[in-house]
Amino acid sequence: MGIHEKLRTNRRGFLKLGASASAVGAALTSSRLVAMEQKLGGADFSPVTGEQRKAVPYTCMACNIEDGGIAMVENGRIVKLEGNIDHPNTRGKLCAKGNSGFLHVYDPDRIMTPLVRTGARGEGKWKRISYDEATTLLAEKLRAVIERSRAEDKPGILNEIVVKWGRNRTGGGVKRFMNALGSNAMVNHTNICESSKKVGLEPSWGPDIESCDWANTKYILNFGSNILEAAYFMNPNSQRLVDGVVGNRAKIITFDPRLSNTAGYSHEWFAPYPGTDAAVALAMAHVIMTEGLHDADFVRDWTNVTEQQLIAHLQPYTPEYAEEESGVPAADIRRIAREFATTKPATTFSYRGPCKHLWGAYQEAAIHMLNVITGNVEKKGGYCLPRGMGWPQPEPVPPAGPVPSVIAKPPLYPLASHAVSTNVPYMVMRGEAKVSVWMSYYDNPVYTYPSSHVWDKFLRDESLVPYLVSFSCYMSETTELADLIIPDTTYLERHDPESMPSGLYPCLSIRQPVIEPLGGTQEFRQTMIDVIQKVDPDGSLGIRKYFEFDSVEDWMKQHFDGIPGLKEEGGWEYMKKTGVWPIYGKVDMNDGKLVDDNGVEIEAAYGLHASEIPAASMLDAEIGEDGTIRKDGEAIGVRIRGRNYVGFGTPSRKIELYKESFRTYGFNPLPVYKRLASRDKKPNELVMSTYKVNVHTQSRTASLKYLAELYHKNPAWINTERAKSMGIADGDLIRITSPLGYMVTRAHLTEGLHPEVVSVSTACGHAAYGRLATLKQRDPDAEWALGGDPDITNNVWWDDRGVHPNPIIQLSVDPIGGSQGWYDTVVTVSPAQQGDKYGDTDVSFEQSMKDYEETLRYAYVGDLHRANHQEVDVDWDNLPEPQLGGH
Amino acid sequence: MQADNFVIPSEPAQPAAPRLSIAELQAQSGLYSLLARCLEAEVDTGLLQVLRGPLRDTLDDLGLDLGRDVMDGPEEDVLAALAEEFSALFVVPGAVMPYRSVFETGRLFQPQADRATAAYREAGFVFRNVHSGEFPDHVAVMLAFVGQLLLRQAEATAADDSDAAELWHQRRVRFLRSQIGPWVVGWSRRAQGCARHQFYRAILELVEYAVWTDICRIADEKTLKRLVVANQKPLIRPKSDPEFRKASGL
Repeated sequence: MGIHEKLRTNRRGFLKLGASASAVGAALTSSRLVAMEQKLGGADFSPVTGEQRKAVPYTCMACNIEDGGIAMVENGRIVKLEGNIDHPNTRGKLCAKGNSGFLHVYDPDRIMTPLVRTGARGEGKWKRISYDEATTLLAEKLRAVIERSRAEDKPGILNEIVVKWGRNRTGGGVKRFMNALGSNAMVNHTNICESSKKVGLEPSWGPDIESCDWANTKYILNFGSNILEAAYFMNPNSQRLVDGVVGNRAKIITFDPRLSNTAGYSHEWFAPYPGTDAAVALAMAHVIMTEGLHDADFVRDWTNVTEQQLIAHLQPYTPEYAEEESGVPAADIRRIAREFATTKPATTFSYRGPCKHLWGAYQEAAIHMLNVITGNVEKKGGYCLPRGMGWPQPEPVPPAGPVPSVIAKPPLYPLASHAVSTNVPYMVMRGEAKVSVWMSYYDNPVYTYPSSHVWDKFLRDESLVPYLVSFSCYMSETTELADLIIPDTTYLERHDPESMPSGLYPCLSIRQPVIEPLGGTQEFRQTMIDVIQKVDPDGSLGIRKYFEFDSVEDWMKQHFDGIPGLKEEGGWEYMKKTGVWPIYGKVDMNDGKLVDDNGVEIEAAYGLHASEIPAASMLDAEIGEDGTIRKDGEAIGVRIRGRNYVGFGTPSRKIELYKESFRTYGFNPLPVYKRLASRDKKPNELVMSTYKVNVHTQSRTASLKYLAELYHKNPAWINTERAKSMGIADGDLIRITSPLGYMVTRAHLTEGLHPEVVSVSTACGHAAYGRLATLKQRDPDAEWALGGDPDITNNVWWDDRGVHPNPIIQLSVDPIGGSQGWYDTVVTVSPAQQGDKYGDTDVSFEQSMKDYEETLRYAYVGDLHRANHQEVDVDWDNLPEPQLGGH
Repeated sequence: MQADNFVIPSEPAQPAAPRLSIAELQAQSGLYSLLARCLEAEVDTGLLQVLRGPLRDTLDDLGLDLGRDVMDGPEEDVLAALAEEFSALFVVPGAVMPYRSVFETGRLFQPQADRATAAYREAGFVFRNVHSGEFPDHVAVMLAFVGQLLLRQAEATAADDSDAAELWHQRRVRFLRSQIGPWVVGWSRRAQGCARHQFYRAILELVEYAVWTDICRIADEKTLKRLVVANQKPLIRPKSDPEFRKASGL
């Protein structure tokens, strides 16, 4: 039998040979044929012409992680995006969103020219104008407000100039713009994101987030975060998490009502009742403290409480109590608490799950405390402070506006250091603030906010918002309502300074145009320069001097050319070449670690709080009875057992588990668990939650073809057994009804969800944002008709754009941290009613207004606040008066 | 392959494209220039006056209905309505983007724009955008370029410079076959379907007719069949299966 015949008759054996050879791996291949990108050190070549592509570093902004990227440019066109291997925290990797980002640039639904409204607001009738005409129009509107303020001698009128942003990565640019105009009415988006996490952390140790040393840890407690897919610092955190779990054999335990892919990746998953994370964390702290498993030295030296205080405070939070509240078994809570306290090093991580509730700040503080009492703070493999770097602002820097803004710093929320943006339309509608010019920057509240219909009604009302300007380059649900659109460029065509604490290696990075702005479009930074120079053409208003930049690049140079260390390497010009500074070393291709030229790992610095203050800095310093070191009236460190440390960013320079600022306003100064109204829902009701997915941001990515194909519909997750009890099968049309109204969607039955929860993802159900997000075009003959794009013609195989859940989600504000309680809405779920159509939504504006009144009752002067905080030792009849600008 | 609504002449095309007289060249140049102007930017007072004045009788003779308001309505109202429609049809998101790149790739500013630029440059022209967001492969710029090529050929012919006339002729034929032929007719049909003002429906119909007629004069049957396929961009409706119930599946 010849070899050919043998192989024909023994094909299985033939394949086995191949499989075996494959298993042997690289040893059998040619040593002369090497993957191009490795051989050529990252260089990239056109497969058609063979010419090397231009590689331009940038910082990603597909979402807010700000990864380091390299754009490959061929003939002035972006053909590919890759990670920047020199970025010490993202180390050469981008996520799916980042890789797809260049589609933003060439999107046919991008707004490429300024547009002025010609029909009624929101009617969709536009006339194109030039950037020069557009900036002149805006400047006239702004100047009119300034002149009125001066004529009436009322500086508060300047706060009628409002900017509302969703994602502001201008490195101080927008603040400079607003302060130059004299307005403090800057409204961020943070309370729909993680503001209560920030407020749970900041008063305790300074910064607003933790930086876990995932790669070197041995034990991770993850509360309510989808680390691998969606949480803050997703790309770097997921890399390091895998390094830790796979490379360092760390154990990870996740608490999340939903079986996210991170929960699925974990060694153990527990589904607590929504909003009960604090009960679980406090019970663990109870076990750790009462069993003496805590780090007594750390608690004594570095906190402002005693062991006895803590033990007494934690006394009610037994594992049995936590089980009753959360459903997590007491035995598991005890076991995990002991494991966490005795496995070194260990860390917690949390993100939106715990903090997006009424009193979310307490939940975050409770989780944070676990790291403190076990002494894992600032340890290798532990729970570390975030590391970032700053940059100077060009001189002269405009001062803040003369009058505080009631919408930027709402007096009823004095602890909410990241403001309460959800409340702004209600406040304006109630006459608490006035608007003349509303500028929308990288923001889409008509889609992204709870009770989103309120924003739609508010922004449509010309008596409330007389002039609405959008700087968006996409026709979002909010931009559709604008009177004037001055389109920004995409993030690949603009300049920004960046420093994101996305890992343990602090660095600066930049955003720069990787191509010339497409078709002569203009980046927002240039628009700000033009507008200010037109508002104050001769400098007589005293505003122009803050924007005397020759160019946008001149502005960037003033940020970067004076930074010690970077200056010597070339400042801005260096940044343009590398995209990031400093470059710590190389990435070891085998284990992903940063190494020097000899292959030795470059370790991160730890123990930042324990850096000793140089003797020279101690000159003229005063040391208080509590050990706080003060100089010129400012706390600069803390003396502990005779040594002077820089400590933490708190008044005492220690970790302040006891927060006096909380007590001042009648909140519990120590971390507590408060039972939510949703915990007492009726048996037939469910708690509604939302979640992000790995390939989308909240709002901005639905128009990207690659991502829209991957994820475009968002059926409601319901626990299988629970759904069956309601007569609902997988795929059924269902109604989800909240006090606001209802939405009609489809059911996805899964074991991976708490039985008392229904969960709907964000990012779907757009009414605007381009043809892929809405599956609509102007063509009257077809709901979905796109000629030309072979990819779309052949591959848009879906007709389902999902259903947007936000209209039925109630406004609910954490009175401490200001966060929206995204996961506090109680709903009923039922089979769809006769006549219901997929995507139907019907909600009540009047009920939303009632929700606003209700949530104010939880603010510090509200009756429900007092009722829920009887344990707090404060003079309830003499709480501080609400004060504009804070106390 | 021939689409129902693409008519390919039964007579095979001439091996060499027919030469036009000076008057024909000038007339065609004028037609292309008019169409280009109508699609390049919003109608202004000057254009409106041309349509209402010198061109009125010709348009009537052709039976081309540009809309009663355009020919006789209050000027200010007409210009505003046409500007609004121009933006909606060709500029704002959701529009029928008038770029070959978008028609063929679904993205702005792809190599189609480079090819147009190269053709302009070879003939001594450069593209210069007036508004932001304008690219060299704009349908109006391409039509204007054909108009210029026709004009140069007419001038060379009038000057008895047969070599130059031939050069301009060849450039035009090449550009029509390679850069206009694959998309302008199909795009015009698509845009007609989206236009909500009679003026643009009529102008786009005229573009379709003029360009296809011209191309039929210079392309053989095989080329025409290829161009028919290139221009066919059928409206795609997603395949929806009413029995498909599994919400969680892809």
